[in-house]
Amino acid sequence: MRARTRIRRKAVVLAAVASLGTGLLAGCADDGDDNNSSSEGGGGGKTKITLGLFGTAGFEESGLYKEYEKLHPDIDIQQTVVERNENYYPALLNHLTTNSGLQDIQMVEVGNIAEIVQTQSDKLLDLSKYGKESDYLEWKWEQATTKDGQTIGVGTDVGPMAICYRKDMFEAAGLPTDREEVAKLWAGDWEKFVDVGRDYQKKAPKGTTFLDSPGGLLQAILSSEKDRFYNASGEVIYKTNPAVKNAFDLTAEAAEDGLVGNQTQFQPAWDTTIANSKFAAMSCPPWMLGYIKGKSKPEAAGKWDVAQAPKSGNWGGSFLTVPKSGKNAEEAAKLAAWLTAPEQQAKLFGVQGSFPSTPAAYESKEVTGAKNDMTGDAPIGTIFAEAAANIPVQSIGPKDQIIQQGLTDNGVVLVTQGKSAEEAWENAVKTIDNALDQ
Amino acid sequence: MTTTLTKQPETASKRSRRPKAARAGGTLHAGPIAYAVLALFTIVSLFPLVWTAIAASRDNQRLAETPPPFWFGSNLFDNLDLAWNDANLGEAFINTTFVAGVSALTIVFLSTIAGFAFAKLRFKGRNAMMLIVIGTMMVPPQLSVIPLYMMVAKLDWSDQLQAVILPSLVSAFGVFFMRQYLLQALPDEIIEAARVDGASSWRVIWHVVFPAARPAMAVLGMLMFVQTWNDFLWPFLVLTQNGNPTVQVAVAGLGRGYTPDQSLIMAGALLGTLPLLIVFAIFGKQIVGGIMQGAVKG
Amino acid sequence: MSTGHDTAAASPVKGGAAPGRPSGGGPTEQELKRRKRLSRRWQRDVRWSPYAFVSPFFLLFLAFGLFPLLYTGWASLHQVELTAPTDMNWVGMRNYTRIFDDEFFWNAAENTLTIGIISTVPQLLMAMGIAHILNYKLRASTFYRVAMLAPYATSIAAASLVFVLLFGRDYGMINWALGAVGIDNIDWQNDKWASQLAVSTIVIWRWTGYNALIYLAAMQAIPQDLYESAALDGASRWKQFFHVTLPSLRPTILFTVVVSTIGASQLFGEPLLFDANKGASGGSQHQFQTLGLYLYEQGWVNQHLGRASAIAWTMFLILIVIGIVNYVISRRLRASS
Repeated sequence: MRARTRIRRKAVVLAAVASLGTGLLAGCADDGDDNNSSSEGGGGGKTKITLGLFGTAGFEESGLYKEYEKLHPDIDIQQTVVERNENYYPALLNHLTTNSGLQDIQMVEVGNIAEIVQTQSDKLLDLSKYGKESDYLEWKWEQATTKDGQTIGVGTDVGPMAICYRKDMFEAAGLPTDREEVAKLWAGDWEKFVDVGRDYQKKAPKGTTFLDSPGGLLQAILSSEKDRFYNASGEVIYKTNPAVKNAFDLTAEAAEDGLVGNQTQFQPAWDTTIANSKFAAMSCPPWMLGYIKGKSKPEAAGKWDVAQAPKSGNWGGSFLTVPKSGKNAEEAAKLAAWLTAPEQQAKLFGVQGSFPSTPAAYESKEVTGAKNDMTGDAPIGTIFAEAAANIPVQSIGPKDQIIQQGLTDNGVVLVTQGKSAEEAWENAVKTIDNALDQ
Repeated sequence: MTTTLTKQPETASKRSRRPKAARAGGTLHAGPIAYAVLALFTIVSLFPLVWTAIAASRDNQRLAETPPPFWFGSNLFDNLDLAWNDANLGEAFINTTFVAGVSALTIVFLSTIAGFAFAKLRFKGRNAMMLIVIGTMMVPPQLSVIPLYMMVAKLDWSDQLQAVILPSLVSAFGVFFMRQYLLQALPDEIIEAARVDGASSWRVIWHVVFPAARPAMAVLGMLMFVQTWNDFLWPFLVLTQNGNPTVQVAVAGLGRGYTPDQSLIMAGALLGTLPLLIVFAIFGKQIVGGIMQGAVKG
Repeated sequence: MSTGHDTAAASPVKGGAAPGRPSGGGPTEQELKRRKRLSRRWQRDVRWSPYAFVSPFFLLFLAFGLFPLLYTGWASLHQVELTAPTDMNWVGMRNYTRIFDDEFFWNAAENTLTIGIISTVPQLLMAMGIAHILNYKLRASTFYRVAMLAPYATSIAAASLVFVLLFGRDYGMINWALGAVGIDNIDWQNDKWASQLAVSTIVIWRWTGYNALIYLAAMQAIPQDLYESAALDGASRWKQFFHVTLPSLRPTILFTVVVSTIGASQLFGEPLLFDANKGASGGSQHQFQTLGLYLYEQGWVNQHLGRASAIAWTMFLILIVIGIVNYVISRRLRASS
C-alpha cells in the first residue's frame, strides 16, 4: 500500500516535470516556427507589414488598413499599439539601439522626433523618395530631416492650437461670445489674453476660473514662440531665453491672480473640472475637442466655440518612420507615405480629429465640413487650418519634452499651490538641469 | 522511514510532533471578533476590484463625473466584449497561462530543492552561496531589463515566449522563501531517519521534502504565477501584440486615442484579473491541507 | 544577509521543541556501523547532491542575471545614454562622487526610508494578525484567502486609477469622509506627508494579503501539539500566539523583513502611477520620489544609463551596509542575552 502510493506519487511528479520540460521546449520551438513563417510573409504568401504605434494613431479605426489592403491585395497589415507614449518611446529606443523587436513602421511623437533624428537616423530609411515633400507643411517636413538632408519620418498629424471657450460662461461674465470678436480681444498678445482673464474673473460664475490649468497656458504660450528651449544651432537656451522666462512669469502671474484652475492636465481630477464646467477657456488643438467631448456631460453640447489664439502654435502630432532593418522596408515606406498622404489624413481627421499635416487636405470636405458636438455649427476645420498656416517654424531639440514637463509639472503648477514665481522657477530649473546632466 | 519509530521510540511516542489533524492550530474556532476583522479586511481588499468592475460598466463620460459612480451601469458586457475582441485576449490568455504556468512550476520545483539544500544540507560554501542568492535580489529590476534586452536581442528572441520565461526563472525570492520555510517546517530528525534508512538525496526530496513543503509550494506557486501574469515592463520590451502578447501587453493598447476610454481600460484590467482569482481559488485549497500528513505516511 | 545568524536563531526553537533529540545530533554506535556499510555512491550522493540542488539557480543566474549585473557595474563608470547603450565614455568614479551632491538622490533616500517605514511596519503587523485569524477554523476560508490576494492580483494600472480617485483633493471619497468629521480637504498628491501616507496606503493595500499568505503557510507547519501542551499549561490564545506562534515563525518573519526591506528600497510602481502625469519625478517637488523611482527616472526618462547604474549600485551598497549593521547588532544582542 505504502509502496504503491510512493510509486504513484513519484510517477505523478515525474510526469509533471517531464511535461513541464517538454512543454517549455515545445513552446519555444513553436514560437520559433511562428516567427519564421510570419517573417517570411504568413497569411498565404502575402507580405506582412507591421506598425508599432502609440495611442493617438487611429489608422485601423479609420479603416485605412482595409483600404490599403484592397488596393494592394498582396499586403497584410498588422499593428501593435500601446496607449501611452511614456511606455512606447523608451521601448522604441531599446529596440532601435539593438536593432531588434522593431516593427516595419514605427511612430514617433513630435516631442521625441528631434532626438530620433539626431541619434537614430542611421537606422532609419530616408523617406524623401517615398513621401512628396510639397504635400507636407514645411516645418513638419523639416522636423524629421537630418542635417545632411535625409528625411527619416513623414508627418502624420499636427496640433494647430486655438482657444476653445464656453460661450455661456463668457456671456455670464460680460464678455463677447462671437469667435471673431473674442479673437480680437487678445489678438497678437498673450498679455492681453491674461487681461481678458482678469475681466472674466471679475464677473465669473461662482467657482469657475478663466482657464483650466497653468500647464495649458504655459504650453500654449511656449508653442507659439519661434525659439524656445534650443537655439538654431542646437544649444540648450531655455534658462536664458527671455521668451521662456516671460511665458513662465506670465503664467505664474495668471496663477497668482487665480485665473487658472489648480489642476494638472490629463489627471482624473482635471477631467472632472471639464465635466463640471469649472473653467471658461482652454488652449485647444483639434484633438482637445475630442477630449472635451469625451469628458463632458451631454448638456454641455453646443456650448463651446473656438477662436484663434493670440499667436498660433503647434501642440502635438507625430511621424511615421521606417527602420532599415525591416524585411519589407520598401513596402513599409510606401505604406507610410500613403497613410500620411493628404487624402488619407483628411479621412483620419473626419474619424478621429487628428489634424492633417498636409495643407492640400485643408480643402477637402472632411476638413471644411468638420463639426464637433461640443462646438455646434462652428467650422472647426477652417479655424484650425487658419491656425496651422500661422504656426512658426520652431527650433526643436532632443529634450523638449523633459524641459516642457519640468517647467510645467515641477514649475508653474507650484504657483497654484501658494509658492512664489521665483521658487517655482528655481524648482523647475533644478529639476530640468539634473535631468539634462548626463 | 519507519526506522524513526524503532530508533527513537521515546521521542516518537511522547512527543508525536506530527499530528494526524491536518490543520495545525486549526482546532481553535474563530470568534465573532475574528470574523468582523476578516470581513473588514475582505471589503477593503475587494473594494478596488469591485470598483474596477463598476468603472468597466460605465461609459467614459459618466466616469469623469463627481461623485464617481457607486453602482454598476449597463455597459459592463459591452465593454468586456469590446476589450476582449480589441485586445485579442483569447490568444493572450493562452500565452500568459503558458508563461506563468511554466515559470511558476519551474520556480517552485527549483526553489524547493535549492531551498532544501540551503536549509538542511551541509556543504562547503553554503553560507557564501546563500548570501549571493540574497544579493541577486538587491539588483533593481527596472534597470537590469535594459542590458537583459541587449542579450535577448543578440539571441534574436523578440516575440518569443522563452524570452519572458527563461529570465523569470532566476528567482532568488523563491530559494530564500523555501529555505526559510523548510528551516522551520522540516525537522532534522525526519531527514536523518531517512538517511539512516539509506535513502538517496532524491528520495529524501520526493518523500520527505516535497510533502513537508506542500503549503509553501502552493503559496510560492501562486505568488510567482501572479507576478509573471502581471509583469509589464519586461514582456512589453520583448513581445508585441502581433507576436505573442501576454495579457498585460495585449491590454496596454486599450483605450488608445486622444481621449483614453477609461471604461475600456478598466474592462481590460478586470478581464486580466479574473483568471487569477480562479487560480487562487484552486491553489488556495492546497494550503488548507495538512502538510505533515505526507511526511508521516511517506 | 545574515545566514549564519538565522540558522542559529532557529535552532534553539527546534531544540526546545524536540528535547528528545540526541544531543549534538551525533550518530549512535549502531548507526556508525550502518554508515560504514554504505556504498560509495551514497557518500558521493551526500557530498555532491547539495551542489546539484542549488546549481540550477546559479546556472540560470549565470545565463540571465550576470550580464545585467556586469553591464550596470561597467556602465556606472561611464557616461552612457539610452540612445546608444554600447557607446560608453569613461568617467571613472564621477557618477558615484556626484551622488554626494545630488540633492535629488538624498531626497529620494529620505523618502524611501519614510515611505518604507510607514508602509512596511503596519503591513507586516497586519499581515501577521490576519494570518493568525485565518489559521483558525473558519467557514469559507478559501474565500478569505482568495479575497486577501485580490489586491496583489489587480493590475497596478487599475489599482492606481482607483486610488488616485479615492485620494482626489476636490472630489475624492477620502476627503469627503474626512470632511464629514470636520477635516478640511487634504491635498494628497502635493502635500509632502499626505502624499507619502497615500503612497504607503497603496503599498499596504497591495502587499498585506501577500505577506499574510506567507505567514499563514508557515503557521500551518507549526505542530499542533505545541498548542495543545500550551493550552494544557493554561496559556490563553494571546499567550499561545506569543509563545508558540511567533517563535516558530522566526525564519519566515526574517524572510518577510528582508524581502520587504529590499522591496521598499526598490519601490517604484506605486509612486510612479500615483501621479502618472508628472512623469517619474514623484510629485512636483519630488515629495514622494523613492530611490527606485529616481533610478527609473534617470534610466528610462532622462536616459542616463551611467548615472542610473551608479544609483543602483549605491543602493546595493547601502543595503549591504544595512545588512551588516543588522547582523552585528543581532549578534551583540544574542551575546549579551
